[in-house]
Amino acid sequence: MSNSSRFETNKICCYAHPDAPLIEDYRAGDQICSECGLVVGDRVIDVGSEWRTFSNEKAGNDPSRVGGPENPLLNGSDLSTMIGPGRGDASFDSFGVSKYQNRRTMSSSDRALINAFREINSMADRINLPKTIVDRANNLFKQVHDGKNLKGRANDAIASACLYIACRQEGVPRTFKEICAVSKISKKEIGRCFKLILKALETSVDLITTGDFMSRFCSNLGLPNMVQRAATHIARKAVELDIVPGRSPISVAAAAIYMASQASEDKRSQKEIGDIAGVADVTIRQSYKLMYPHAVKLFPEDFKFATPIDQLPQM
Amino acid sequence: MMATAIQENGINSLSNGNLSHKVDEQNSSSPSEQSESIVKSEETTADNSETPEIDIVINNVVCSFSVRCHLNLRQIALHGSNVEYRRENGMITMKLRKPYTTASMWSSGKITCTGATSEPQAKVAARRYARCLQKLGFKTKFNNFRVVNVLGTCSMPFAIKITAFSERFKEHAEYEPELHPGVTYKLYNPKATLKIFSTGSITVTAPSVADVQAAIEHIFPLVYEFRKERTKEDILALQLKQRGVKRKRSFTHIDIEEQDYEEHFGDTSDEENYGSDESWD
Repeated sequence: MSNSSRFETNKICCYAHPDAPLIEDYRAGDQICSECGLVVGDRVIDVGSEWRTFSNEKAGNDPSRVGGPENPLLNGSDLSTMIGPGRGDASFDSFGVSKYQNRRTMSSSDRALINAFREINSMADRINLPKTIVDRANNLFKQVHDGKNLKGRANDAIASACLYIACRQEGVPRTFKEICAVSKISKKEIGRCFKLILKALETSVDLITTGDFMSRFCSNLGLPNMVQRAATHIARKAVELDIVPGRSPISVAAAAIYMASQASEDKRSQKEIGDIAGVADVTIRQSYKLMYPHAVKLFPEDFKFATPIDQLPQM
Repeated sequence: MMATAIQENGINSLSNGNLSHKVDEQNSSSPSEQSESIVKSEETTADNSETPEIDIVINNVVCSFSVRCHLNLRQIALHGSNVEYRRENGMITMKLRKPYTTASMWSSGKITCTGATSEPQAKVAARRYARCLQKLGFKTKFNNFRVVNVLGTCSMPFAIKITAFSERFKEHAEYEPELHPGVTYKLYNPKATLKIFSTGSITVTAPSVADVQAAIEHIFPLVYEFRKERTKEDILALQLKQRGVKRKRSFTHIDIEEQDYEEHFGDTSDEENYGSDESWD
C-alpha cells in the first residue's frame, strides 16, 4: 500500500492538497477540498448528535442543545448562565417560596438592545411586517446604538425610526403615520430621529413614489384590481406631467384612488380614503382639484368607465 | 449673469456674479434708500433680460450680546415696561416697538435679540435694550455683539422641479415630502441652509447677510437647471395668494408701492398658507 509507511491517519484528504481543510456539504453528503474543489468524500453520513435524537417529537427540551439560539450579530455574544425556574421539591424553601429567585440579569449592557428588539418586533407584528424587515430594523438599531451619537433620544423613538428606515430600504415604504399608529412616539419625533439616523449612519434612502402605496391602500379599501391599476396609472401620469407640484406622493395617490374609484363601480368617499391613507379629506380635495382638469390624459386607455369622465364629481 | 439686490437699510450693494462664481465685484453701492429697491427690480414673468434681478428680503436677524453685569430678573419684571417674566425658563422677554424686536434676557447678562430686519437695525435694537436696562439701574456695558443668524427669503421667477433637483444633489439636498414640502439644501462654504420650494421661493438661513447673498448666488445656477415655466394659471393663483397675504400683514415697516411689493415679496406666508400635507402634530 502506498500509505503503509506513513502514520495511521483516518482522515481523508485531497491527494493534491493534503493540508487543505475539507468543506462539508451536508446537502449532498460530500466533502470538498477547499483548494481545488475536488469531491473527496462521498455520501458521508453525519453521525453527530443533531441527527441522533429520536425521543418523542414533542419534547420541549432538545437534549442536544444547551440553550436557545443565540443572537450572534446583535448581542454581546454572552455565554453567561441563567438560573432557571426550579422544579422538584428541593428548590423550594420551607415557606414554599422558591430559592434562587432571580435569574441573574443576563447582559446589563445590552438590556436596552433587547428591549428595543422586543419593541421593534411587537410594532412590526401589529402591521404584519415580514421577518426580513424586522431583522434589518434590528441591525440598524444595533448600528445606531453602537455609534452612540443619538444616545439622548428615547429608545422607542429610535426603534420606530429604524423600523421606518428598514421598510424604506426594503422597497416597501410605510408612511410616517402608519408607523405612528403602532408606536407611542409622535410623528415629529420619529421624523427628527429619522433624519438624525440617516446622518449618523451616513446612508440615504430613495424617494417615495405613489406606486409604493397603491396596493396597500386599495386592498384596505377593498377595491378590485382594475381600479388599483387605473389608480396607479393615474398617479404616475399626474407626477410625470407635473400637474401636482409640491404635493406629497401620499396625497396624490389618495386623490388618484378617489378618481379611479369614482369612475368605476366601487365608489369610495374622500373621507374613507382619507382614513386609510392618513391624509385629511381637504387635502384629497385639493389634489383632486388640480388633477380633475386633466382627467382625460390621466386615465389608462383600456379603462372601463362606469361613470364617464364628464360626470366625475367636481369637488 | 445675475444681479441681486438686497433690500434692507444699510447694505445695498449690487454684485454681479458670474455663473462660475469666480468674479464677485462689488459695485459702488447706491445710497441706502428708505423706500426699498423693489421698485427697481424687473418683472418676474417671461422677461429674459441679460441680468435678471432677484430680490432677497431679509426677514429676521438674530443677534446676541452681553451687558456684563448680573441682572435681577424680578426687578426688571416689576419695574420694566413691555416685559414678560417666565420663571420656568428663567428669562425675561422684552419687546421694543421701534425696531420691532424681541429680546430674551438671562440673569447672567446675556441677551438674545430677534426680529430685526437688518444688521444695523439689530445693533440699534441691541443698544436700545442695553439703554433700557441701564435706565432700570443696572451698570450695563455693551459687549460682544455678534449676529448669530440671518433669515432671508427670495423668489425665483420660475417654478422648480424639486423632485428632480433632490435626486441630482443627493449629498447636499434632503427631501422628505411627508415631513416638509421643501428641499433642505445644506451649503458648507458659505455655511448656510436653504429651503427650496416648488413654487420657486427659497428661504436661506446663514450666519450673516453676506452669506445669505453668497448662498443665493451659489444656488441660482443649480436651481436654474431645474426650472419649470409657470403657466398662466399658476401666475394667477400666485397673485391671488399674495393679495390675500397683503390683508394679513398689519404692520409693514416697509412702505412701498403695493403692486411691486406683492409680486416680489418672498413667499414666506405662502408656506404658512400652503395646503401642507404634513400633519399638525
